[in-house]
Amino acid sequence: MMRRAAPILACLGLLAIWQLASLASENDSFPTALEAIRAIPAILGDKDSLVNFGASLRRMAIGFGIAVAVSIPLGLMMGRSRMVASFFNPLLMVIYPVPKAALMPIIMLWLGVGDIAKTLVIFLGVSLPVIYHSFEGAKAVEEKMLWSGAAMGLSAARRMVSIVLPAALPEILTGCRTGLVLALITMITSEMIARQSGAGNILFNALDMGQYDTVFAMIIIVGAMGIGLDALFEKMRARLVRWSEPQLDVPLSFS
Amino acid sequence: MNARTITSDLLLGLIPIVLLVAVWQALVSFDYAPVTLLPPPLRVLERMAQQLLSATFQQEIAATLFRLFAGFLIAVILGVTFGLAAAVNPTINAVVRPIVRVLAPLPKVALYPALLLLVGFGHESKILLVTADALFPILLATYYGASTVEQKLVWSAMAAGTPPREILFKVVLPAAAPSILTGCRIGLVISCIVVFLAEMITSTDGLGHVLVMAARTFQAVDMFVPLITISLLGLILNGLLELVRSYLLRGFPEA
Repeated sequence: MMRRAAPILACLGLLAIWQLASLASENDSFPTALEAIRAIPAILGDKDSLVNFGASLRRMAIGFGIAVAVSIPLGLMMGRSRMVASFFNPLLMVIYPVPKAALMPIIMLWLGVGDIAKTLVIFLGVSLPVIYHSFEGAKAVEEKMLWSGAAMGLSAARRMVSIVLPAALPEILTGCRTGLVLALITMITSEMIARQSGAGNILFNALDMGQYDTVFAMIIIVGAMGIGLDALFEKMRARLVRWSEPQLDVPLSFS
Repeated sequence: MNARTITSDLLLGLIPIVLLVAVWQALVSFDYAPVTLLPPPLRVLERMAQQLLSATFQQEIAATLFRLFAGFLIAVILGVTFGLAAAVNPTINAVVRPIVRVLAPLPKVALYPALLLLVGFGHESKILLVTADALFPILLATYYGASTVEQKLVWSAMAAGTPPREILFKVVLPAAAPSILTGCRIGLVISCIVVFLAEMITSTDGLGHVLVMAARTFQAVDMFVPLITISLLGLILNGLLELVRSYLLRGFPEA
């Protein structure tokens, strides 16, 4: 009971601190938590912004889906074959510190400001952590199980699907969880750079126009999306890999 | 692993990078992409060398590095302190855990408008964003490392008469060091990414600003230069951290 209530209490506590801080600072551009919450229904009730949210979520789902579908097989192969691993590792290391959303201006030059550019950026942002975690997971699979599988006549492809994949699943799902938060972050950033549609567009347009309660209301909405998606994924993960204890029960999120 | 396998691994790893550059060159040479959209690799390199020698570009790099290090250092100090405190003290744990649970999956970029409104458009808002993003991986890694310290080590220290405060610094902190450094490594890459993004959103200097200015004036060559620079910076910083790590962890079994 306490465990379930704690995150909600933490949310309320943070909102209370916000409320007090803004009351104390008396800054015009820093609305109180209550004012920001009051602005939420207006945003969610507006048809335009709902269309924007829909477009954002669609891009995010497509980008995330493709990234997972490509990255898991690649990561697993890298984990099981040293050749494949040393083939891809340096390339991934070079790409890693590049901010994916920063590629947006260049990709926009080639593909325009539409859905393809944004989805591609989300895809790039999600794939690296998923590849990395699948790689680590596949590397740690116990050799004996693979030998037993080979002795029982499983082909290399079958061993991959029925031994390596399930054994690496907890690690893979950790990667997917990081990827999910990343997808949200990349989505917001890409929309902020290509201001055309989406949640990021609403947020940064409100900032430019000085509608500060909309800015803070959008921050609450986007934050709630992050926390909600993460909790949902965690539920699914707990079902899929009931047999394994998670290492960290909080995802590492970054852009 | 002998020297020969390492060289062949390196050569294998170079293949995709060389291929990438070759495809890039081919796209330009065979007129599939106009030079204005995709400048040839040599021209980018030339421009890169020219820029690296120019004083203005060096100042941009310095501005970016300053924000990166300031944010990262604050994140390290806060993350290690809170991580250790939460691992050794149940009361602090009960408070910190749910707050981290809520804040970690929150997309921090969405907080950036709020930071801008609160602390202004200068260094502070960027440094705070870097801190907010780098903090959680370091905090979680510290917490995880410190809470899995072998109990026997603590008991032996207690039996030898070490006061509790010193146990924290002489036993728990060194034992958690490998995990903390792993967290710092993730945090460092995140800092690279985030500082760039923050500079892209609003800034008057820094590498991110160089990219945005190039994008506004459609100078494709100048768009590649800051991206490559941040990738190189990431690799160099990663290498430096690796050196620090092998110095701090000398004497650890396979660190």
